[in-house]
Amino acid sequence: MPTTAARLPAAAHAAPRVFDARRVLGSDWRLGYAFVLPIVALVLALVAYPFCYAIYLSLTRKYVGVPPVFVGFDNYVKLTNDGFFRRAVANSFIFTFGSVAVKVVLGMAMALVLTSRIRFRSFFTGVLLIPWVAPTVVSALNFLWIYDYSLGVLNYLLVRVFRLLPTGVGWLSEPYTAMASVIAVNIWRGFPFFGISFLAGMKGIPAELYEAAAVDGAGPVDRFRFVTLPGLRHIVIIVLLLSTIWTFNDFQIVYILTKGGPGGATQVLPVLTYEIAFGAQRLGEAIAVALYMLPALAIVIMVLSRYMRRGQAR
Amino acid sequence: MDNRLNHLAEQLDAGRIARREFLRQAAVITGGTAAGLHALERMADAQPKPKLRIWLFKSFVTAGNDVLARHIEAWGRERKVDVELDWATFGDREPKFVAAIEAGNPPDVAEMNIYGPMRYKPVLRDVSRLAVDIARAKGGMLPFAEQATRVEGKFLGVPRYAMISVFYIRKDIMDAKGLKPPKVYDPDVIEFARKTQDPAKDMWGFGQTLNRSDDGDGFMQAILWDYGGGTWDKDGKPALATSNLKANLAALQFSVDTIRKHKIQPPGVMGWTDVSNNEAYMAGKLVTTNNGASLYFAMVAKKHELAPKTLLILTPGGPAGSFIGSSCYNWGIFGKTKHPDLCEDLVRWMEDESRFTEYLKVSVGQAGPVYKGRADNPYWKSDPNFEAILQNILRSQPVGSPGPITPAAVEVQAQHILTDMAGRVVTSGLSPEAGLKEAHARVDEIYKARRA
Amino acid sequence: MKRRGSAWVEPALGYAFLAVLLTIVVFPFYWMIVSSLKSETQMRSLISMFWPSPIVLDSYRQLLGQTDFLVWFRNSVTVAVSSTLVATAIGTIGAYSLARLRFLGRGFMASAVLITYLVPPSILFIPLYAQIRGMGLADSLAGLIAAYPSFTVPFVTWLLMGYFESIPEELEQAAMIDGATRFGAFARVVLPLAAPGVLAAGLYAFTQAWNEFLYALVFITDVKLRTLPVGLASFITGDVYGWGYLMAGAVLTTLPVIAAYVYLQKYMVEGLTAGSVKG
Repeated sequence: MPTTAARLPAAAHAAPRVFDARRVLGSDWRLGYAFVLPIVALVLALVAYPFCYAIYLSLTRKYVGVPPVFVGFDNYVKLTNDGFFRRAVANSFIFTFGSVAVKVVLGMAMALVLTSRIRFRSFFTGVLLIPWVAPTVVSALNFLWIYDYSLGVLNYLLVRVFRLLPTGVGWLSEPYTAMASVIAVNIWRGFPFFGISFLAGMKGIPAELYEAAAVDGAGPVDRFRFVTLPGLRHIVIIVLLLSTIWTFNDFQIVYILTKGGPGGATQVLPVLTYEIAFGAQRLGEAIAVALYMLPALAIVIMVLSRYMRRGQAR
Repeated sequence: MDNRLNHLAEQLDAGRIARREFLRQAAVITGGTAAGLHALERMADAQPKPKLRIWLFKSFVTAGNDVLARHIEAWGRERKVDVELDWATFGDREPKFVAAIEAGNPPDVAEMNIYGPMRYKPVLRDVSRLAVDIARAKGGMLPFAEQATRVEGKFLGVPRYAMISVFYIRKDIMDAKGLKPPKVYDPDVIEFARKTQDPAKDMWGFGQTLNRSDDGDGFMQAILWDYGGGTWDKDGKPALATSNLKANLAALQFSVDTIRKHKIQPPGVMGWTDVSNNEAYMAGKLVTTNNGASLYFAMVAKKHELAPKTLLILTPGGPAGSFIGSSCYNWGIFGKTKHPDLCEDLVRWMEDESRFTEYLKVSVGQAGPVYKGRADNPYWKSDPNFEAILQNILRSQPVGSPGPITPAAVEVQAQHILTDMAGRVVTSGLSPEAGLKEAHARVDEIYKARRA
Repeated sequence: MKRRGSAWVEPALGYAFLAVLLTIVVFPFYWMIVSSLKSETQMRSLISMFWPSPIVLDSYRQLLGQTDFLVWFRNSVTVAVSSTLVATAIGTIGAYSLARLRFLGRGFMASAVLITYLVPPSILFIPLYAQIRGMGLADSLAGLIAAYPSFTVPFVTWLLMGYFESIPEELEQAAMIDGATRFGAFARVVLPLAAPGVLAAGLYAFTQAWNEFLYALVFITDVKLRTLPVGLASFITGDVYGWGYLMAGAVLTTLPVIAAYVYLQKYMVEGLTAGSVKG
């Protein structure tokens, strides 16, 4: 019975006694449902339906312009046995975690700097947000120039200005430097978002906590450890999760800088998805590539979000 | 005029009744009298015009894009049709097409690349009659153009022009060293490059990436053919590491050697994308490179100092000959169009020789012939460098050769399988044989998936 | 209030960190500006590397005078601002509801919103395009305004759920004991406290919308309705790149938003009133 009521709040609304509705649906059900309605509508229309359709397509053999043919889990099974796909999965994880780890550190540094006693704080906050605001397509092309072996400013600085290296480095032409280079651009593009989120989080930590800690004789490091970090826990987890997903799905940077090369060394899942969907025009398999890691990511998110809620209740 | 008719027209203008309803009621009112018919025609003229959505290839020849747009708009005015143009370039095209087709909203007419007829086969209209008509008026279609646009006996595209890759040489450096243009890669290009390059000054003899890119995949495809191999056999079956293994091994070894052994390529070459060799050449860092006409266009259009110092020659070859993959831009008409006659009329209009010549003249060699008659256009004699473009086009062969052009062959190029193979050997220390076997497995998988 | 948070990082250390971060952030952007002031020949040479000589302003002049740049700019502003307002409004009330109110299905819905953010946008745009077209919004800015919240709302909601949960519930209870309704407590007590969060979420939504490329490329076919990222990308023609236009366009796209951020950042600090936190 409660399940039906949950699905049909209108029916419950028509129930004779309000008391019942409050008991079954919760004490704030009117405002609660009214406030979530827009999200639910949006999610159903623009995410859930397309998503379910995408899941269905991943279970089919679907070429562009032709109706899908249901094949069950064939696409997934095939991917599991595909060495090239497995390499792309590994690359995706390296790309994602390499990037996210550095972004957390730089983001924390940025937030600390922007809460410290420096002049022109608002101005610097704005300036530090440049990478996040600049159009990614052109930022990536800008880095294509910066990394160029002959004409790029990076080699120019290292070889001619600071004389750190005898000859330049082909940044995008060797597997390891290519991966490091695309990760660096993703970090550049993404860390200001960490910084601004952490900054907003730090602003929400009551000043008395710092004062109390100072009274207890805690130094700057201890205050960071015992006041700032616990106060930020929530926002750190959210930003970490989101950035993980977001980095995992990042397409433009790799596509513009290396197209997954050399020899597939920077091939990540979104670029592979794109190639199978639009190069090969096999939509079913392309979507299977995109969805393959979804259950794993979903589990991580569920576990962490539960942890987050429990932490909150304490 | 009949008041009832005026009233009806007002209703139509206000959007309260549909055009068809207007015509029906108007016919009733006027009773088909001469005066009535005249009034009817006049009013129908004022009604919304049919609309065509036309998707065009945004070429690097911007002057050509302007000519294209002008001709289509002129057609729209002449035929009283509204035209909506949209442009997209290499990488942006496919998502647009796929999303539009899947959402049931494709354009009426589109300028497609060589893969278009094969890729969008299920949703394209058979344009055989139109293609044959146009070809007949122009002395017949060139074989590579017919192979590209004719799928399972039906034409799904009307060829427009071909763009091709040629071999670029710094003529000034060649003359200063007293060298002759190379005919084959090994040893001609190697020696030519060694004699002309100066690594200390970051000046390299040869610039040909083996990275995932149109340039890289085009080269890998051609070099396998040059050595007598290829990805496919005559029947269109995968042959990379089977019947073609020996030839392919030699070709792959040569490609890798240009970087690792002969060191005639710049150290960053494995990280190049399609734009990189254009930039390196224009920066004076390369003596030779393979590229389409785009590079020559960019130099001529901007009066670059290297434009007059550049010599374009036929792509060098190997022991089995000299080969090049073909290109064929073509008009496709989508099956969903409500105005197939208008679409066909537009294609005829655009392929009219005087209009095409106007386009050709601003193309700086980009708009290569797809019909026999167009190969004789005096334009191709107007710049000595055009001869190489023309001859390379005439001998070009489609993806999949020596077998037929197939969806699997298109896919192997699109998924960069040949450049992944070369990249693995160059950067990951894989042996050429292992590289070929690995790539063969991927090709085989695509082949099987496409047959299912 | 002003001194809060400043005591634990010595100013000198603060400036040192700032210098490092500024170098990382500003150098590539500086490089973009330098490139936009060079001719293509200058870009392809290693002469006057760090400051062009002579400075070439042609790219800017032509970008503003001969292309549709200003039209794209207006389109981008329309789309980004409208979709941000929609996303932030929906996300704020939704987050409050999911974080604070007690009703059946709350936990499930909260998880569902979480999960939607996992859905890779790279595959969604094909069925989404069909939806947008079904709503009659294909080839219109309204289509983008409707579509963008699909990827910004989940984040906005997540972020704000965290904020609402971090605000002591006693504040609302106190307000309600003083006679405020639940809605009144939300609007007058909780919302002002959450202002920094709402602003941060709004900025996020705005930036995502401002930079979005794929939907704008696919949903829009009218050249006059393009947004900035797609418009800028149209200066790439095949393997010939209009570097001057690209770089100048990127600089002009970025600077006004950064200027706005400098201002909004102040607002963000003001939004957090020490008095209400101390309650």
